[in-house]
Amino acid sequence: MSTPTHDPHPEDRRTPGTGSANPGTDPADPTSPGSDPAGQGPASARDSADAPGAVDADEPPAGGSFARYFLRKLGGAATSMILVIVLGFFAFRMLPGDPVLKIAKERPMSPAQIAELRSQYGLDKPVIVQFWDYLVGIVTGDLGESYVYRKSVSALIGEYLGPTLLLTGTAAVIAIVLGLWLGQISAWRRNSLFDKLASSTSLIFWSVPTFWLGLILLMIFGGTLQWLPTGGMITPGLDPWSFAGIIDVITHLILPVVSLVAVVYAQFLMIMRASLLEEMNEDYLTTARAKGLTEDEVRRKHAVPNALLPTVTVVFLHIGGLIAGAVTVEAVFSWPGLGKLTFEAIRGPDLPLLQGTFVVFSAIIIVMNLAADIVYRFLDPRVRRA
Amino acid sequence: MNHRTRRKTKMLTSHSMRRGWQRCLAGVAALALAGSMAASPAQAATSEAPASENVLRIATDGFIDSFNPFTSFYLVPTNTFRYMYENLVANDAEDGSVTEGLATEWNTDSEGKVWTYTIRPDMKWSDGEPLTADDVAWTYNQMMEKEEMAVANGSLVENFDKVEAPDDGTVKITLKKPQANNPGQEIPVVPEHVWSEVDKPGEFKNDEKSVGSGPFQLESYEANKSITLKANPNFWRGKPKLDEIQYRYYTNSDAQVQAIRSGEVDFITGLTPDQFTALEGADDVELNDGHGRRFNGISINPGVADAEGKEFGTGHEALEDKKVRQAIRAGIDTETLRKQVMQDYAQPATSFIPAVYPNWALNPDDPVISGFDVDEAKKLLDDAGWKEGSDGIREKDGEKLQLRFLTDADIPTEQSTAKFLKPWMKDIGIDLKNESTDADTESERTTKGDYDMYFSGWSINPDPDYQLSINTCGQRPDAEGNGGTTQDGWCNEEYDKLYQAQHVELDQAKRQDLVQQALAIHYEEAPSVTLWYPNQLEAFRSDRFENFTKQPTDGGAIANQVGYWGYSSVEPVSDEEATGGGMGAGGWIGIAAAVIVVLGGGGWLLSRRKKSDDRE
Repeated sequence: MSTPTHDPHPEDRRTPGTGSANPGTDPADPTSPGSDPAGQGPASARDSADAPGAVDADEPPAGGSFARYFLRKLGGAATSMILVIVLGFFAFRMLPGDPVLKIAKERPMSPAQIAELRSQYGLDKPVIVQFWDYLVGIVTGDLGESYVYRKSVSALIGEYLGPTLLLTGTAAVIAIVLGLWLGQISAWRRNSLFDKLASSTSLIFWSVPTFWLGLILLMIFGGTLQWLPTGGMITPGLDPWSFAGIIDVITHLILPVVSLVAVVYAQFLMIMRASLLEEMNEDYLTTARAKGLTEDEVRRKHAVPNALLPTVTVVFLHIGGLIAGAVTVEAVFSWPGLGKLTFEAIRGPDLPLLQGTFVVFSAIIIVMNLAADIVYRFLDPRVRRA
Repeated sequence: MNHRTRRKTKMLTSHSMRRGWQRCLAGVAALALAGSMAASPAQAATSEAPASENVLRIATDGFIDSFNPFTSFYLVPTNTFRYMYENLVANDAEDGSVTEGLATEWNTDSEGKVWTYTIRPDMKWSDGEPLTADDVAWTYNQMMEKEEMAVANGSLVENFDKVEAPDDGTVKITLKKPQANNPGQEIPVVPEHVWSEVDKPGEFKNDEKSVGSGPFQLESYEANKSITLKANPNFWRGKPKLDEIQYRYYTNSDAQVQAIRSGEVDFITGLTPDQFTALEGADDVELNDGHGRRFNGISINPGVADAEGKEFGTGHEALEDKKVRQAIRAGIDTETLRKQVMQDYAQPATSFIPAVYPNWALNPDDPVISGFDVDEAKKLLDDAGWKEGSDGIREKDGEKLQLRFLTDADIPTEQSTAKFLKPWMKDIGIDLKNESTDADTESERTTKGDYDMYFSGWSINPDPDYQLSINTCGQRPDAEGNGGTTQDGWCNEEYDKLYQAQHVELDQAKRQDLVQQALAIHYEEAPSVTLWYPNQLEAFRSDRFENFTKQPTDGGAIANQVGYWGYSSVEPVSDEEATGGGMGAGGWIGIAAAVIVVLGGGGWLLSRRKKSDDRE
């Protein structure tokens, strides 16, 4: 994580394949000089995508065809997915406590009632049989039935995915646009007051716990000023497709989106800033200026497009992470999405639902990593040609 | 390393990059839109916002599996059933005594084996159909005959031999063994004409337009969003004054506090002392510090064993001696704990039946009750053969008196209790180690008997029989948790005899006396130390509603009652201010945000397009 701006390993330059198409391994590099927290952000995304990282270690040498490259990446992703599926079953079985006893706790339940529940949940079967059922279920797209909701887990996830996409999609767009825009201006006016303010503010928000920030916003704008609603996605009884309904959803959306954006946009800002700084000493900018272009034009037309390249992959990685980050925000703002579903499943503990959301969240991150690899290949002609 | 690989391909056109971006953004937006559409499947029918003056909005975060009274045992559905379905007999608001429900009167044969109920004539279900004794008998028989219908309340009909309805106005329950506790309590009676038509009643969700006999009927339910109940005009006590009750989902109790401050909900319950104090002085919010039907205590491992007496677990041997357990009680200053840890939001406790049931709770004047007494504690430990060592910790046969105290790390009151206990136990020569962990680990370890002491708590129903029963020898589960349920893993023959005696004693005064004796034995044996009866802390919007009924009526709680009293009497505050049907600040902020997004997005796209035109 301590790569100086001036490259000490010139040999890397001759192997464009190495690392360049490998965001899973070390996407944090561009940001590293002096921006520790921002460096950790991508690193944590890397952790969650640990398995593909491990597979990626044997990067193909330059010159591999696209098909080979693609298959290799796909293989890595598939391996991670299998690991996730196996882990998803056993990790939650290892949780302490018996779900049925927890449900029965403090309730006047007879042994016969408890036994009936065990058999309804399929917990009376041997673990290996349960595992087999689970595997067969996953292959056929059946993730089991939730203990609490008494509904198929796949249907539940389908139902709750929408609100999560609305929330994280909005937050992602705003965070990316805001982060990249502030980042390029910060870099361009390096060490100016604007740079210092923008960078430090973003880093302060970055280090704030999402949960805490959410509650503070809730207290100020919900409880005290009473400008915005304190939870949920829509006032019960409103038609979401009426004008009032849409406005209602937007007002419910503001606080959760602000919390999510505030906590993540620093990552985009720091990456953009660092990559643009890299470009700023390049000769071609001098050439551009010599042609008589204004500073703005030099920045927008020449420097930024090149600086954008490394950021794109990182952005993709973070979209996956953002969906996972929704768990906290949804729990604070009672947003009826996947994150809240997961939160409640842990409280249960609702094993099939936990397994299901775990597999889905992991799949999203794995797919995003794969997409990052492939998109990079397309965006950078050198990697494509190589 | 990405940046290093970039060479002089500076001509990667910004144009294509931008187009890519636009597509990407459009894609995300479309995805989000599609997602939100999928999430709200055509519910255009409910296009009208509720007439809010007469809708009581309650914040909740409880689990709901269904609203099927035969199968659901979660707290929110169970509480809702109490409003949806009248029982054969109810528990009154004053002190939880048995009072008339569907039955106006009841009597039993001399030994308490055959119970006969007279059903109130001319009652109607919420859909207008007549409600008769047949409905009662049908409901009970479903639970007795079908396993899948006994999931929630099977234990209540375990002792039933047969239930008959000789005529429309009479229900006769014949029990297997006599019992003193009225068997008609707490079993929701459903309409036969609706439920007998259901294909698989065990899987019926019953989550819209329910038909019942209670004051409110379930109108609609949206998971993790809201539950709407409508007043039942045919309720035999008369139609409630409220039109609707609407539960709204708030995952987070701090958010619930903000919601009542802002007036988005009208009632919240289950506040922590800190949240409760924070609401003091909030505009238009009235607080209710209600005496609850719960107890908290410290369960002491008396050497747990299964029903056959086979011991298991890792409890400290010293605790098998009741003198050591009594010493622990004498060393705990429960009054200080109640005031400091619970900030006085709890009632002083004696035994495990809380003071809100004055008929049953162990009388504080009972001679068995001993207070906080350090000298007595030391004396008891001396007598038990545990002598003080050089470091102040007692030992016996070279073994030190070191005990583990299992607490839930997420619950502040448990952690504070542990902090108080450590020095107090040190004073009497016990080295107490606080092992704080998560609730799941705690539950697993207590099941296995892998503890010395742990922080426990139960909610108690108006009749003490169930809680007394889980202190008997035969109810102890094995190390896997199979067999029964136990409060403290304790067993005492004398107690068991008293339990049996009260179980069949039909004379209320005599039964009370037997219960007192049983509780006194439990107290003296000290398998647990009851610390306090926590108050249920609640708040409601006094500018909108008044006339909540508490249970017990004098100083009790509004939510989680055994019965339908809490909200049934609620009335809107009469001099309603027209709060205006328009949008609040939130609406305007929302519109502003939408406008900014649209304008900003449009402007941005426009400027991009202009730029690319320039460039070509």
